[in-house]
Amino acid sequence: MTYAVVRSHALLADLLTSHQMRSITSADSLEEFIVQLSQTPYGQVNLEPDVNPSTSLERVFYQKFIERIVKIVDIVPSRIGELLQTYYYMRFETLNLDRIIRGKFSDETPQEIQASLVPMMPFKAPSYQALSEAGDMDALLEMLKGTNYDVVAEKVTAYKQYDAIWPLQLELQHLYSTTILKTVDKLPRDQRYLISKIVELEADIENFLVAIKQSRASKEGEGSKPEMFDVTYNISKDVLHLVVNGADIREAVESLGKPYSDILAPIYEGDVALIRTNLRSQIYKTVSQARGGNDFGFNPIMAYLVFSELEKDDLTGVAWAKEQGLQGEEFLKYLVVSNIS
Amino acid sequence: MSSKSGVRPTKGYLMEMQRSIVFIERGTEFLKLKRDHLAKELSESIEVLRGRRRLLLNNLQEAYKAVQAAYLSLGPTEVESQANSIRSTLDIDLLPKSVMGVQYPYIKILSRPKVEGELDITLSYASDKVYSILEEIIRLAEFESRVERLADELGKTNRKVNALENFVIPDMKAVIKYIQDKLDEEQMEDLVRIKLIGGALASER
Repeated sequence: MTYAVVRSHALLADLLTSHQMRSITSADSLEEFIVQLSQTPYGQVNLEPDVNPSTSLERVFYQKFIERIVKIVDIVPSRIGELLQTYYYMRFETLNLDRIIRGKFSDETPQEIQASLVPMMPFKAPSYQALSEAGDMDALLEMLKGTNYDVVAEKVTAYKQYDAIWPLQLELQHLYSTTILKTVDKLPRDQRYLISKIVELEADIENFLVAIKQSRASKEGEGSKPEMFDVTYNISKDVLHLVVNGADIREAVESLGKPYSDILAPIYEGDVALIRTNLRSQIYKTVSQARGGNDFGFNPIMAYLVFSELEKDDLTGVAWAKEQGLQGEEFLKYLVVSNIS
Repeated sequence: MSSKSGVRPTKGYLMEMQRSIVFIERGTEFLKLKRDHLAKELSESIEVLRGRRRLLLNNLQEAYKAVQAAYLSLGPTEVESQANSIRSTLDIDLLPKSVMGVQYPYIKILSRPKVEGELDITLSYASDKVYSILEEIIRLAEFESRVERLADELGKTNRKVNALENFVIPDMKAVIKYIQDKLDEEQMEDLVRIKLIGGALASER
């Protein structure tokens, strides 16, 4: 553990500083962005041919982030390693399965599906290539039987009944949430605090966003979906159900108190994307505060991975913005690292 | 005078021409009325078109900002993966509509894509804005086509009125005058002839 902590401190120095990020953000073009990036630990970036530059860069950032996770997972004690793998690998695997399901649903080719996947080896699922090459949705779900994702395959009836993929997507999310909960519970209390805080914050905000989305869908006369708030923490199911049933959003948000009221404030202006930026900023603050209290245990390890992910997300956004020819001030508010003072 | 070539200076032809010119003058009056209505309709439509374009431009900017926010929040791969999962599409039907005999296309929206269940909330907000704009773009295209066809028709009507007022009617009036002159001349000749015959007959007695 001591080695992992020392190593994390060293690796933290490899991350882009807010100053570097601001400089990259102010690049005049995508080409200049790539040149500036080559002067950082990312080095020379090779873009894939026949792929959008921003999509290709997103894959590069994912690869770099996954390399960083591997570096940490390899050196931490097994219980922490299990948690980190579940938190990150299973999250990305859930994303990949979600994309494979979407691809099958909309009859994308296996090549198109594979191009949309996070570049990683399967964690608990069968080969992504085999899944994406499945003949149809039935064949895909059949392949998930007997794996960790067996419960998703059991939702085949609901999928056919509604002719929609949300029952499968809900089950994937449910499986991820419950697995994370179980893994966090295995950790000693002192190591559990930070990861629990992050997981709670993420789950609460995502639940609230789902509630808002459900209330919009109900207003437009769409049928209600079954219970979707499997895991709740500081935003209770009662509040979420009030939102789903059309309660005043401002009142509901203000009743949550800080930091939730601050994170969710952009909903008044309809800027939902900014809520996710606020959430990521809050996670950054939470990790920084935890490091302020104790910078020698699990905190710097988690900080390295959390900051790495924030960096990946910001760089992905900047790459897309540069491809679109946007100027810094037009998208700066959606970034976290460059706004750190 | 080419307009008078082939003209038969007969009373019957004169009457036919007089009937025709009354009919053409009434037609010209109707065309003038149509022209005035089309001009009024066109100037009003151009005002509406300007307003709609301004509104659409604002909404386009808002929609683009929402799409931009979705891309920045979810990343390009996730946005494209979610967008591809929408199976239902926008179905439209093209129908003809008419104003003062001017036909223009009317676009009827048969079904809209249902996206709520499939998309992340960020993308769902963006898609709402894009779809509301899509309908506005369709309506604007419909309106622009209407204005364009009204302008075409106004041009045609104006040319017809000008041709009738400046060429057809004056030509016909000239022909009528020519026939009338011819007939008067013939009448005078007949009168002279009758008088001469009457004089000759009187001297014989």
